[in-house]
Amino acid sequence: MDTYDLLAMREHYHRQRIMLCFNGPISRSLIEEIGNALRNYLTAEQAQPSAAMDVFAVYIEMTQNIRHYATGMNYTEQDAAATVAISRDEAGRYVVAAGNLVERADGQRLVEWVEALAPLDKAQLKAAYKEQLRKPRTDERSSGAGLGLLDIARKSSAPLLASLKEQADGRAFFSLRAVI
Amino acid sequence: MTELNIPGSQSTPAIQGDWSAGVLAMQGDSYPENSFELFGQVIDWVERFLREAGRPLTLELHLLYLNTSSIKALMDIFDLLEEAHRDALPVSVNWHYDSRNERVAELAEEFREDCSFPFAILPVSE
Repeated sequence: MDTYDLLAMREHYHRQRIMLCFNGPISRSLIEEIGNALRNYLTAEQAQPSAAMDVFAVYIEMTQNIRHYATGMNYTEQDAAATVAISRDEAGRYVVAAGNLVERADGQRLVEWVEALAPLDKAQLKAAYKEQLRKPRTDERSSGAGLGLLDIARKSSAPLLASLKEQADGRAFFSLRAVI
Repeated sequence: MTELNIPGSQSTPAIQGDWSAGVLAMQGDSYPENSFELFGQVIDWVERFLREAGRPLTLELHLLYLNTSSIKALMDIFDLLEEAHRDALPVSVNWHYDSRNERVAELAEEFREDCSFPFAILPVSE
């Protein structure tokens, strides 16, 4: 490929109703700046304050989970990249999706975690969330993204969708999708 | 050094601890990557106040969005208040929120469920 077809990319994003997306190494300040852009976008779209807050919250938990994981694994800047897209589905609901490279076994555990949350109703998710909140910080780290994932699940209007695609060197690309 | 004065930023709340008045106030959003860096000193201040001041402590909160790591830190502060309350020390929380954003009231309500000291959730209309 000699040149990037930016127009094709743009048309692809339009078709997918993606309002904001990012791909690359993600830093603390980038998370904040993209978050800002997202908030401005939601304000301009006149989203309900509660819906805007839920979309923002899900975006923050997903991206901070990715940062915590990459930092904890001592990934290089290139491997600490994230792919994030915020869009609306056919029904006009906001969709927040994010993906990153993980160790294959960690990715499998995450997918199982997300699948285990799917059948839980709001009350069960709340109970699981409160239980996780009470766990000591050391446990929280070893269990990975527990509290953030539960928070995302509670703010979603449909079960979370997770997928894992195997990559080279024992790694896999984990992606998570939440419909608000 | 008994006063606490932490300026706010886009992702961290402004925090003031007034030792002589017995008031700890926080305003704004809180979603730092590492909430313990920020709240560690606030937790220390609350612990010291409850141990040494011998006066009532009131929290005046105008907090909006909290990430889960900030929620965990705030829960630690409320646990200290709960412990003080069981020791018959007068403590209370007033959480003020914009009546147009019910998410903040729901968040405050979830904290209140685990607290037995006076905890008011107060709508503010523009």
